[in-house]
Amino acid sequence: MEAKQEAKQRQNYSSGVKPIWCPGCGDFGVNAAITKALTELNIERNNVMIVSGIGCSSAMPQVYSTYGVHSLHGRLVPVATGAKLANHGLTVIGTGGDGDGYGIGGGHLVHAARRNINITYIIMDNETYGLTTGQTSPTALMGHKTKSTPFGVIEMPINPMALAISAGATYAARGFSGDPMHLAELIKGGIAHRGFALIDVFSPCVTFNHDNTYEWFRPRIYKLEKENHDYTDISKAMDKAFEDMRTNYEKVPIGLFYKVERPTYEDLDIALRDGPLIKQAGHTKEQILEVIEENR
Amino acid sequence: MTSVCIRVAGANGDGVESSGAMLIKVVSRDGLHVFAYRGFQSIIRGGHVWNQVRIGDEKLYSHGEGIDVLIALNQDAIKNQKSHLNKGAAVIYDPDKVDAKELEGKYRLVGIPLLDIAVKVSGDPIMRNVVAIGAALKIVGIDLDVFNDVIKSMFTRKGEKIVDENVKSAEMGYNHAKAEKLFDLKGDGRSRYTMDGNTALSIGAYASDCKFYAAYPMTPASGILHWFAAHENKGVLFKQTEDELAAINMAIGASNAGVRSMCGTSGGGFALMTEALGFAGMIEAPLVVVESQRTGPSTGLPTKTEQGDILFVMHASQGEYPKIVVAPRSVEESFKIAVDAFNLADRYQCPVIIVMDLYISEHIESVDGFPLDSVKIDRGKITAKQGDGKFKRYEFTADGVSPRAFPGTPGTEFIAPSDEHDEYGNLVSDAFSGIDEYVEIRRKMQEKRMKKIETMLERESVFAPEVENPNAEHFLVTFGSTTGPAKEAVEILNGNGGKFGLISFSYLMPMDKGKAKKILEGKKLIDVECNYTGQLAYVIMANTGIDIEKKILKYDGEPFTGEEIAEKAIALIK
Repeated sequence: MEAKQEAKQRQNYSSGVKPIWCPGCGDFGVNAAITKALTELNIERNNVMIVSGIGCSSAMPQVYSTYGVHSLHGRLVPVATGAKLANHGLTVIGTGGDGDGYGIGGGHLVHAARRNINITYIIMDNETYGLTTGQTSPTALMGHKTKSTPFGVIEMPINPMALAISAGATYAARGFSGDPMHLAELIKGGIAHRGFALIDVFSPCVTFNHDNTYEWFRPRIYKLEKENHDYTDISKAMDKAFEDMRTNYEKVPIGLFYKVERPTYEDLDIALRDGPLIKQAGHTKEQILEVIEENR
Repeated sequence: MTSVCIRVAGANGDGVESSGAMLIKVVSRDGLHVFAYRGFQSIIRGGHVWNQVRIGDEKLYSHGEGIDVLIALNQDAIKNQKSHLNKGAAVIYDPDKVDAKELEGKYRLVGIPLLDIAVKVSGDPIMRNVVAIGAALKIVGIDLDVFNDVIKSMFTRKGEKIVDENVKSAEMGYNHAKAEKLFDLKGDGRSRYTMDGNTALSIGAYASDCKFYAAYPMTPASGILHWFAAHENKGVLFKQTEDELAAINMAIGASNAGVRSMCGTSGGGFALMTEALGFAGMIEAPLVVVESQRTGPSTGLPTKTEQGDILFVMHASQGEYPKIVVAPRSVEESFKIAVDAFNLADRYQCPVIIVMDLYISEHIESVDGFPLDSVKIDRGKITAKQGDGKFKRYEFTADGVSPRAFPGTPGTEFIAPSDEHDEYGNLVSDAFSGIDEYVEIRRKMQEKRMKKIETMLERESVFAPEVENPNAEHFLVTFGSTTGPAKEAVEILNGNGGKFGLISFSYLMPMDKGKAKKILEGKKLIDVECNYTGQLAYVIMANTGIDIEKKILKYDGEPFTGEEIAEKAIALIK
């Protein structure tokens, strides 16, 4: 009985902190999906580390009772990577926005993908900058009007799935916060997957993006599973990654685009062959003398 | 004390570096002291490079003034180095390749067919350097047996043929220079280690149980990167990152997860790291950062030295938070400061920045060893026991230091936020800032963090300068790597009837104002620094109100020598 209660307690992932999101914000759906995934995977909250950057969606760690870091704008990937390399026994989840992940932190994303570090990175993609009151974002569609692009966006949007797959991500998926059940499955898959998982989530901003709304997405999106998409085939995955652009956003696929098994960074780093760094014994006097002796 | 400066000069790819390294090993095994400094450029082949190996029968504190023995490997070496030759210097060169006529009558010319001998002995032209080293050893009075022993230990695994060729080549050079013995250096028979400051610092970090180092390559900090990379099979993880932003943020992530972590770079990379430095200050993550300065501004002179970044480092990142800034004064002290830096970072949960420069990072010195028994690891306030799920990671405490827990521990879960937060780590920024209750929390939290400065000043004794010759009439004032040459200057000055002392800083921030003022007050001071504006003098004035008007400043990329400081000091007090 006592053990059961304890287990229940550990599964209570809510910190009780009220999120800062506007009513109707897509991030509520992502919150629900992450909680569902953690609960179903039954991961003890003390072994979860949620790392965010800066932005509306980066308030995510605050609503959890797990360990977490609310880091700097664009830097969640290196902070999460450092945490994972220090203690790869932790389940490390990154939660941030499109500006954070594809804009200011875009360089880190590419390198995390090619390293195949075992973290799950959930990008809440609302195609706008919400917390700074509505400027354009790296995923904003051409022509989209914002405070910083009053005459319409004139840059191509980032293609998150194509970017992640070509950079070496071993799990690339896209979800919709309007369908948290489906999203929870993608997040569960990402956490269970050994390697770098990018989950891009359409998470509408009800305040600053009046183009890409729930109503805009619903008739356009469809689930790849229903088409029996072969996510092990990189060519097919890349083909699907470009389908939204190709069809002028008539058809917007969500679901698992690509998944492949490859050794993780932690598997290959010689420094981690004896287990997580934090659990490894300290350097012995003999070892220290040895490294000094190299200089004779 | 007797000391001799041997300078090997040639082009990149001539083996200048390896010749210097061989000389350093030979003399340090013989119980002589070494101080070596390289002149090099950002070029992989060509250019003009040199390696100055100063050898002494007592501990040396600088690379020395001028050249006593020049090994000129090409014509450029004569052209570029002749102005540095000391009176009576010997010049070893190959008359088949190098024309030394212009030096005739002024210096002892030791012409040896280096290449011809090398090709005859081994067929390998690069062995000409070994022939030259043999000649140099004869000139400075070092026995060939010492050389032979070192060669055996260095090359035995490469095979007997290699050993024989080296021994034979050196012997030929030695015999050629038979009549040229100019010095008689005698070692104390004690074999010493030789290493640069980057290596000593890395070993100090290793001895302190630093297990994580992240960096992006940048001269002159790359030596630390290479050290950690080479020791990944000995219980450290090195990560080469995509940029310096990643390097420091990974180190912060790893430190927050409980592993002693460090990152390192030079000024340009540090500029990229500054935002994250304040982040570490805000989430109170212990962190050691190395900033090895080179000549600035901007890309500057990537392979030359300067002490121009200390004000930048001391004031890096927005807002106010406790940080410790320290500049090691010698190779040996780089070890000790690394050890202390990790303890201070853990005790006060703040960033510690070790400010090196190219001179201290890359010059090689003979070292007796390190006091391993004095290495004590103090992780500070760590909560080991399981919590009740309501952990106050940022608890208001009398000393400003809050309890820490390592992620993974049940019941001590917390969020480390870059935003202002309450004792639990909950944000007070987005939804609550400006509301009375939270205005109060912000005030108390800022006071809690800043209180740590008072606490460390109270508990630690390191935050004041050291004085040598307290009863002297004049004092040189230095910090970091300039301290060694200044120490030599004091010896030279006092040897000529002067009354000079030395006041040197390693810890620059925070400063124990009372102690510093007491030490500096009422003394005739001369500030000596490798920068244009006198940044240490500025720091001293800000902390003590004492304005040091006399300054010896250098910003041409080259480090000070003792002679140079002594000469300028004399001129200043006249």
